[in-house]
Amino acid sequence: MKIVAVTACPTGIAHTYMAAARLEKVAKNFGHEIKVETQGAMGIENKLTETDIRQAQIAIFAVDIEVEGRERFHGVKVIQVALQDALKNPENIFFNIQR
Amino acid sequence: MTQTLNPSLQYEFSCPLTSGLHARPASHLAEVANRFLSDCSVTNLRNGLVANAKSVLGLIAADIRYQDRCVLFVSGSDEHLAQSALKQFLEKNLPRCDVPLAEFPAADLDGAVPRTLQAAHAAYISGIPVSRGIAQGKVVLVRRITLPNDLGSGEPLNMQKELARIHEAVAAVRQRIGEQLKYAITPVSTAVLQADLAMANDVLLLEKLTEQIGSGKSAAQAIVDAGEFFIDLLGHSENDYIRQRAADIEEICLQLLEEVGATGAVPTLELSAPSVLVAETLGPQQLLRIDRQWLKAIVLEHSATTSHAAILARSLGIPTLAGVRNARLALVPGREIVVDADRGFVIPQVSAVVTRFYEREQKTLSRRNELRSHVESKAAVTLDGEQIEVAANVSSGEESTLGFANGADGIGLFRTEMIFLGREDAPSEDEQCAIYSEVARNAKGRPVIIRTFDIGGDKKVPYLNLPREENPFLGYRGVRIYGEHRELLQPQLRAILRASEVGNVQIMAPMVATAAEMIFFKAAVDRAKHDLGERGTRYRPDIKTGMMVEVPAAAFFLDELCAEADFFSIGTNDLAQYFFAADRSNPRVAPHFNVRHPAFLRLLDHLVKEIHKHRKWVGMCGEMAADVQNLPLLLGLGLDEISVPAVEVHECRRMVGRLNSKRCVEVLERALACGNSEEVDELLAATAARSAPQPLLSDELIVLESTSQSKEEVIQEMVDAFYISGRTDDRHSLEKALWARETMGSTDVGYGFAIPHCKSDAVTANSISVLRLNEAINWDSGRGDRVSMVVLLALRESDPGSTHMQVFSSLARKLMNDEFRQHLLKTQTPHDVKEYLGSQLGIAVAMVDPVSS
Repeated sequence: MKIVAVTACPTGIAHTYMAAARLEKVAKNFGHEIKVETQGAMGIENKLTETDIRQAQIAIFAVDIEVEGRERFHGVKVIQVALQDALKNPENIFFNIQR
Repeated sequence: MTQTLNPSLQYEFSCPLTSGLHARPASHLAEVANRFLSDCSVTNLRNGLVANAKSVLGLIAADIRYQDRCVLFVSGSDEHLAQSALKQFLEKNLPRCDVPLAEFPAADLDGAVPRTLQAAHAAYISGIPVSRGIAQGKVVLVRRITLPNDLGSGEPLNMQKELARIHEAVAAVRQRIGEQLKYAITPVSTAVLQADLAMANDVLLLEKLTEQIGSGKSAAQAIVDAGEFFIDLLGHSENDYIRQRAADIEEICLQLLEEVGATGAVPTLELSAPSVLVAETLGPQQLLRIDRQWLKAIVLEHSATTSHAAILARSLGIPTLAGVRNARLALVPGREIVVDADRGFVIPQVSAVVTRFYEREQKTLSRRNELRSHVESKAAVTLDGEQIEVAANVSSGEESTLGFANGADGIGLFRTEMIFLGREDAPSEDEQCAIYSEVARNAKGRPVIIRTFDIGGDKKVPYLNLPREENPFLGYRGVRIYGEHRELLQPQLRAILRASEVGNVQIMAPMVATAAEMIFFKAAVDRAKHDLGERGTRYRPDIKTGMMVEVPAAAFFLDELCAEADFFSIGTNDLAQYFFAADRSNPRVAPHFNVRHPAFLRLLDHLVKEIHKHRKWVGMCGEMAADVQNLPLLLGLGLDEISVPAVEVHECRRMVGRLNSKRCVEVLERALACGNSEEVDELLAATAARSAPQPLLSDELIVLESTSQSKEEVIQEMVDAFYISGRTDDRHSLEKALWARETMGSTDVGYGFAIPHCKSDAVTANSISVLRLNEAINWDSGRGDRVSMVVLLALRESDPGSTHMQVFSSLARKLMNDEFRQHLLKTQTPHDVKEYLGSQLGIAVAMVDPVSS
């Protein structure tokens, strides 16, 4: 599956990136392709393009704050979880997606 | 008190003291008045109260506040002398004899009880810190002392005898205070004791005592009644300060009672173990008589922060809290308590957690002080071991004290103009000698460069009669006027020479452009030496004589000048103005004045190289030296010294310690080749970014084998590490920011790691701190794994810098990597942790720890 994701945490210093790393690793384990955009203190990195989003089957928002540029995901299936969940229990997210 | 008023012997004045006419200045005034036979009185026109000017008590009771208009009346046989002496005192001395009452800022830590103590539910009682510090000891309750009211003995009294006893008692008390004065160790203690002495000598007090004896009372009763009279008088004042003086009178009377044998009046306090005195109030005498070896802290119920006891406690460095409500009820005699007069509370029961906290606190504070003094006592050294003197520019003795307190290596420029300006006549040789000698002594061997007066047509110096010029800046000033004003130059030179006897003094001439001027100046110095020799006055014969480099012409006459001058100091302000032909205070042309322009840098480079070729010393005392941005250029130039405003010295030394001199030389070379100042600015900015002033990592921020037992203790320990290494001066704010983040969501990331972090300007530089626990702890009460490894990230709010942000995000990602984590868990020393992190994250770690080298 092609998956896109956005991670965002209030301070934007650490958790945002840690969650991104986790999601990337676990998604690979499940055999998916994933691109993760981080919204942190440095702004938006690895920004998801229109193409990225169009090609994806599902979007994961692992966020504790509002996602910037949410309009981009209009019409896409979105799973929203707390940032903690992506950090501690990413496997769960992907199990849910399988179903 | 009526008197025939001779209008010419009245003198009206306004009280110039912001704290009002309190005990100390009042005692000076009374002292002057007591020299004369005439009656002297002061009437406070605001409230109509009349005071006998010879009585400190009377003056205080008149409640003379700031700007109250008062009238002095004098009448008697020596009234003219008295009036003129008092007038002189009121005009000249009164405004200056106020030792400022100590200021006690309210506990500014918003009742900040440390998290560790809060978490342990340690009880605490808040108070007002009156004297800072932290101490622990057993509670000793002190009874309130009051005048006894059951002295009746029933025996018939001999008035003469009783009067004699009074006089003896007063003399004895005066003597005792006099003795204490001899051993008073601080100016404040001295002032307090002097005020007490003045009160013991007070004519009104004696008058009252005599009056009481006259009405048939015993000495003891007279003392009690007189005491109550004054306590009443002062105690009813609206003025807080005056009310507190009532306590002082009470103390004096108690001592008098002691002297006349009404024993038990002033209980002496015997202490035999570290103790904390707990009292409603405390008198200065009580305080002074206690064995200070055992007196660790004081807790007062009264909120009086300007009582003499409070002032004394402060000057003696005894941690003291005031305004601790019901202290005597809440604190149990004999129990061990902690007085935290830094944060403003008492801990009434010491538990293991409290002890741990304060033990750590003690270690942190002493370690920090150790490191600070270590840095300040060494010469300013770059990362790669090159030395540069960092001196201070001053205009007065006080500034020089400040400069040395900040670690200055000397006085690079003592501007003497201030001494000459704003007066009707020239300062005398003696006056100048006193000033220069004071600075020379403060220097304790360090060099003091005194520049002779640089005055031109734009300055108001009436006694010089300088002609008004069209263009004083390019006119008759500096060394140019010395030929015609030897009457000013010679006394100054003699004064400087005399000061050289008590310190390492050097002379410097301003505005020198030609060798001829330097030769003339040196001849003037020789003349001064000769004159002093004739008088038999000593001076340092080999005193160095140098010159300011401010006139561009000097730059191309260095062979000749080096033959005449012993040293050079570059005055960039004027030099650059003349060089660019632009007045930097004129907004239209100010942009042309730019010390970072390559042309100016080439000038400086030429100056330093040529002067060094002749093996002479060259420093810089202009504003260019004070701008830390220029530091790489100045180090690159190879200056022997930079002299900056006294307040900047510490920061400047610190910045020097962060630079690598070889890199600076490279930077200068490139700057010399730049095409304009913008390019130089960019070059400097790039250098600053690459060589981060403070590296993200440092050994001091890595704590292995921590014995902390809770999240609170871990965060405290890590914040303390910041504090010790100078990365924060405000632990409270930093901790607050970290805890704020903790409440937003867990920083426990699993695998036994936690990453507390925050953005706060309480840190002086972006930092990464690492702490490894011997025993894992709960991070988030119950949830999640236990944590044994903590990586703390602190970013500055105002200039986080994107490179550092990238480091943080890459660190965050790496933490998700097994190998990375395992490595951190196993590494043995802080140094190795630092190296590993540094290489993994691609950041420079300090090559040489500036503090330990």
